[in-house]
Formats: sequence, structure tokens, C-alpha cells
Amino acid sequence: MATYQFTSGMIGLVIAAIIVWLVRRDHLHGKYAIWWLAIAGGFAVLGLAPSSVDTVASRLGISYPPILVVVLGFGILVLKIILMDIERSKSIVKLHRLAQRLAILEAELAIHQDSADRIPNQSEPLESMAVNE
Amino acid sequence: MLEKTLIIIPVFNEQDSLKELLDSLVVMIGFDIVVVNDASTDASLDIASAFPGVTVLPLHINLGAWGAIQTGLRYAYMKGYQRVLTMDGDGQHHIEEISKLLQVARNSPDVDVVIGACTRRGSKLRHWAWAYFRRLTGVGIEDITSGFRLYNFAAVKTLVRKRGTLLDFQDVGVLLLLQEAGLKVMEAEVKMSPRKSGKSHIYYSWFAVTYYMVVTTVLSISKGKPFKLRKAD
Repeated sequence: MATYQFTSGMIGLVIAAIIVWLVRRDHLHGKYAIWWLAIAGGFAVLGLAPSSVDTVASRLGISYPPILVVVLGFGILVLKIILMDIERSKSIVKLHRLAQRLAILEAELAIHQDSADRIPNQSEPLESMAVNE
Repeated sequence: MLEKTLIIIPVFNEQDSLKELLDSLVVMIGFDIVVVNDASTDASLDIASAFPGVTVLPLHINLGAWGAIQTGLRYAYMKGYQRVLTMDGDGQHHIEEISKLLQVARNSPDVDVVIGACTRRGSKLRHWAWAYFRRLTGVGIEDITSGFRLYNFAAVKTLVRKRGTLLDFQDVGVLLLLQEAGLKVMEAEVKMSPRKSGKSHIYYSWFAVTYYMVVTTVLSISKGKPFKLRKAD
């Protein structure tokens, strides 16, 4: 019969392996890969050495060790969501400024096109150009 | 460096009032006009484009009144305009009051922004909101939501920055940015008319009012500090 360490270790390692696979296949990359690799490492440690939670919890004065994992996990999730909202705010600023720049460029283009349309045809006789001026 | 004053008009579905406004503005001497079309779904873009003396900045996504104004301010900054006037496209602001704002600016060269204020307008709720944000931010401006403003180059340079792009509304957040930059703001009492078309950008529903109050309260608490007020005679 498998011990609980083996069971929890396998669960942790499988999760870690999935995250590593996602990174390897470029479904996750850049700074997000670092974040999730750290999470994968955490899962692996918790899976292989679940009693480490008991040790840490007792040193922190927590009488019910599993709640430490729950609270830490919740805190990490909240932190991740805050970081996502910060990223989204930056993206919104970039999008708005790009839209503004595009509007200005389109106006400039329209002005230039309008000016180009007013330039007389090069094949016209020079006399008619002089009269227009 | 351009000596003319640029007039910026942010427009979102103002087809009922825009032509009359532009007809009055294009004959004025000493002004260039920019209409920022905030992704209108009516004929506002076509109406503005029909005026050869008007520059139209066509936004492809709706950025809101402040986003549209900042677009115009960025254009003004790129072109080097020393004075920029913003006004609404819904017929509230009187053309003849433009000279009053310019006169106040000329008489007070140390002032960076002149706000055309009409404290007689608005509901009791609007007046309560003004008083609430005055107390919360220390910004000593009576008509916080007026879009009838004259900015100098220093003010434009401050407001075109990325920090300004995050703002949802053109009132408290903009005033706090100006305050933070150490710029002087003055009010001048002007006449305003009821909106000829469209509806308020802020107070158009109870949900919108609640959202505005909550967002602006958070902004005020995080950035507010005392501010000096000078009123024009």
C-alpha cells in the first residue's frame, strides 16, 4: 500500500511536470514562466515532503498546520490577481495612447492627401499654372 | 511655436448641436479648431469632416470625454500651441465667453489654467458632489466638472503624459495632476446653457453616478492635498 508521502509526492510532481511541459511547449513564457515554475517547485516540495508544513507551522505557532497552506495559497492567488490588474492597467494605457496616436496620424495623412490633391497635374501647360497662381 | 489658440472639442454623438457650434467657431479669427471624434455612432464625424477649416481626429475606439480631450492635447503639444481651449460639443458653452477666459489669462500671466465656471447650473446632487470633493481633495475649485477650460503650454505638457491617460474623468483627477505639478488654476464665472443634445457624460444614470462617486473618492483620498483658489472678478 502506498504511503501518503508517495501519493502526495506523485500529485505534486505531476502538477510540476505539467507546468514544465507548458513552458517547454511555449504555452507559457517570459516572466509568467518564472512565476509558474516557482509554483511548480512549491507543489513538488509539498508533495515530496508534506511534513515540512508541520515543521514550519509549529515554528510559526500555528496549531492546525494545513491552514498554513490554505492561507499561503490564498495570499499567493490574491497577489497574482493584483499583478494581473496592474498589467491590465498598463495595457489599457498603451491601447488608449496608440488609439490617440492613430487618430492624430490619420488626421495628418488626410491633410497631406488633401494638399497632394491640390497640386496641379504635371502634364498641364505652364501658362495655366501661372494663371492659377 | 504657434500664437493661435487651439480649440479642442471632444465629440460623442453630438450631431444635433455640432454643426451650429462649428458654424460659429470657424468664422472666429485667431483660432484653430480640432474636433476629436470619440467613436461616435451618429453623423458627428461626417458633420465635422465637412468643415474644411476644422481638423478632425478620428478615434476608432471610445476613450471617453477625457481620453478624447487628451488626444487633442497631444495634438496641440506636437504642434506647439501655446494656448488650448477645451469646450463641449453639446452647445452648453457660449462662444462669446471664450474672450473672457483669454482676457483673464492675459491679466494673470502666472495662471496656467482658467476654468469657465457656472456655479448656478446643475442639480442639488451635482452641487453636493462638488462640495464633497472640494473637502476631500482640498482643491478649491467651485465648478469641478466644467469642461470649458483654457490651458497654457505648461499645463498641456503636464496633461499629455501617460499618468494622465489613466484618468476616467476630466475633473478631479485632472485638477489633482495640475496641483501636483505646481500649476496655478483660476476660475472665471461664465454663462452656460442647458445641454442642447445628448446626455451628461457622468450623471446619465444612477449606476454611472455611483461609479463616478466611488472612483473619484478613491482617487481623491489617494492624491488629494490643500490647494489655493483665486477667483476672477
